[in-house]
Amino acid sequence: MSSTNPTSELPMSPGQQAPSAGPTPAGESNPIREAISEAISEHKVILFMKGTPEAPACGFSARTVAALQALDTPFAAVDILPDPRIRQELSAISDWPTIPQLFVNGELLGGCDIVTEMYESGELAEALV
Amino acid sequence: MPSAEDLRQRIEASIPGARAEVEDYTGGGDHFRATVTAAAFAGRSRIEQHRLVYEIFGAEIGGPIHALSLKTQAPQQSTADAPAEDASAPQPTTTT
Repeated sequence: MSSTNPTSELPMSPGQQAPSAGPTPAGESNPIREAISEAISEHKVILFMKGTPEAPACGFSARTVAALQALDTPFAAVDILPDPRIRQELSAISDWPTIPQLFVNGELLGGCDIVTEMYESGELAEALV
Repeated sequence: MPSAEDLRQRIEASIPGARAEVEDYTGGGDHFRATVTAAAFAGRSRIEQHRLVYEIFGAEIGGPIHALSLKTQAPQQSTADAPAEDASAPQPTTTT
């Protein structure tokens, strides 16, 4: 199995910065939040992280990637660093304050601590089936 | 700058009956590791248990508290009054 991880592209190139940096009030169109939700529903296993699987920018993200790679799990990865709004909107969706965040089958499985704990107990392999 | 002792007191004050051990693992006052035992965790998923702790600190997580690594558990039912270490699951004294 290939260990290549497709990096999910969210439609937020630097040239498309919205004028306001804060979370969008409810009721208004929120393309970033919609793109994140779409990415979560489209990928069975998707990791929001700092940096990329090849070059994690944080030890917690690196440890979570390592657990997934140890199980030879294909996963999509989104780097949250290029735009602070990704993290804001992600945390608003997930009600989870920290990065990384691993979603499986559309549900938040956990951050680094929970994923590591589940990897060590064997539960992660079961959750990824 | 928060201290490990501050975090311990706030966790124990916010979650009734909680016992917390908090370590400042870089010594810099911004990266913490906490083990929290609380009856309030019983019947809740790990995600829900961690959320209960994260909620205490709100926006401080990611702000002054750069990292709060959590291990949460409900007390052993047979030793509810004395949440002693589970001898069947020894914790390594060094971590990676």
